[in-house]
Amino acid sequence: MTFFNLINAYAFWGAIELGLIFGLVGLGVFLTFRALDFPDLTVDGGFPLGAGVAAVLILGGWNPWLACLAALGAGALAGLATGVLAIRFGVLHILASILTMIALFSINIRVMGAPNLSLLGQETIVTPFAQMGLSGLYARPLAVGLVVLLVTGLLTLLFVSDFGLALRATGVNARMLRAQGADSRAYTYFGLALSNGLVALAGALFAQTSGFADVTSGAGTIVFGLAAVVLGETFFRSGRIWVVLTACVLGSIIYRLALAVAMQNLGSVGLQASDLNLITALIVAAALIAPKIRAEMRQRAARKGAAS
Amino acid sequence: MISVENLHVVFNPGTAIENHALRGVSLTIPTGAFVTVIGSNGAGKSTLLGALSGEAAPTQGRIRIEDQEVTFQPVHKRAKLAARVFQDPLAGTCATLSIEENMALALKRGGRRGFGKAVREERRALFRERLKPLGLGLENRLGDRIGLLSGGQRQAVSLVMATLAPSRILLLDEHTAALDPRMAKFVLELTRDVVAQYGLTTLMVTHSMADALAHGSRTIMLHQGRIALDVADPERQSMTIGDLLEMFSKVRGEEIRDDKLLLS
Repeated sequence: MTFFNLINAYAFWGAIELGLIFGLVGLGVFLTFRALDFPDLTVDGGFPLGAGVAAVLILGGWNPWLACLAALGAGALAGLATGVLAIRFGVLHILASILTMIALFSINIRVMGAPNLSLLGQETIVTPFAQMGLSGLYARPLAVGLVVLLVTGLLTLLFVSDFGLALRATGVNARMLRAQGADSRAYTYFGLALSNGLVALAGALFAQTSGFADVTSGAGTIVFGLAAVVLGETFFRSGRIWVVLTACVLGSIIYRLALAVAMQNLGSVGLQASDLNLITALIVAAALIAPKIRAEMRQRAARKGAAS
Repeated sequence: MISVENLHVVFNPGTAIENHALRGVSLTIPTGAFVTVIGSNGAGKSTLLGALSGEAAPTQGRIRIEDQEVTFQPVHKRAKLAARVFQDPLAGTCATLSIEENMALALKRGGRRGFGKAVREERRALFRERLKPLGLGLENRLGDRIGLLSGGQRQAVSLVMATLAPSRILLLDEHTAALDPRMAKFVLELTRDVVAQYGLTTLMVTHSMADALAHGSRTIMLHQGRIALDVADPERQSMTIGDLLEMFSKVRGEEIRDDKLLLS
């Protein structure tokens, strides 16, 4: 039995497509969770915001690429809103992001004018690839993959720049950063805006590949992003920033492939589709606590070594 | 030049844990001078350094650095004027970045951080050239995460980082206190060399009376938020710890009872 006995082509390419889209979410979550040390739940509202903004603009006749850029801008504004609450007014970080998230639910319905919008038959970023004669099954991951490649490349260039080094130091040692003359608050604002911009861009891609935008599509976005980050870190350990960023995307693809395999073979192991959230939570929790358990085991071994 | 006038710092004013850490400190340090600061726990040594760097907000008084009024300037704005090395070796560097990335961060202290590549070949050459004199072999480990280095190595790199961007002032906050004696001696010698080489105006807070007398050209002793003693060379050159203690009890009418200060 090989891997492809466990999964059919539709599920496989669908998982690649979703994995790439949520790879962008992974990059955004890496930025807040790892670089800024700012647990940011804004993304659960930012994802459908990006989907809604892109959908409304595409339905209004905008070029789909411009609609993607507008979605990115809308997401960045959402991130800044969280930043103002947390940095300017000192609201607990995670609470600030939850406030923005629930506010975005109402805003998203205002933006779309309805809880959901259909994009079927509209021109999207996938259309040019489909017109080249490619089946949607391949055209969608190709279009999304190009965007993800571009974003990962640009982020790598950003992160190795003078500005990017300061951004990466913000969450690790803000005191040192200030002593080096950089305003850690300004970098936190920028990071929140960029992170939520990327997540909204992912929402815009999701709306275009799936053919609809839905206000409820953001539930669990933060967990999918975290799953991408922690799985990426588990499978690809490296200090090189391009590897770390690529690992976020690959982690997301691994996660989606694992889900797809599970979905197709649920029955045979006695699981049902609604168990997937539990499985996701367990995977993320395990990946998050693994480093701590490893450290404790090392400590215990060292103590034993010292005692003998 | 550093000039401090009637500086007061009160932590948690109006609460049960109110702490009047500095009670009217006035001090002028001319350009190029190397001043050591001693005092027992709670004397206000670190608060003085914190007020100079911007981490502790004064409640009264004013601070000028190189003829610029900085009394209420935030930390990151005045970082251009003064470089710092912290007591905690972990505090002065970013553990997840490499040695060369940390140095690139320090190279841009007080400058504009653009989108150009931070670690370029010409910068790498500069970093190597500056690390080599340490004799720690770090010039061959530029790509290593700085979190992998020992406390002493990180402190040595912090000192080098403090000299990468142009500034004339160096603030050292018990920067050898967390190191083992051998590494502390090494970092102190390095400090002396660096200060001499770049002609830096230096304020070094230390817990050790011996170190305070052995370095720089002037020693200030803080006590309960005030300057209790201020001795400079040549008078200071022949002074021993005993002389310093005697002077202190004469001025204050009391004895020092801080074992850590006396023994270290």
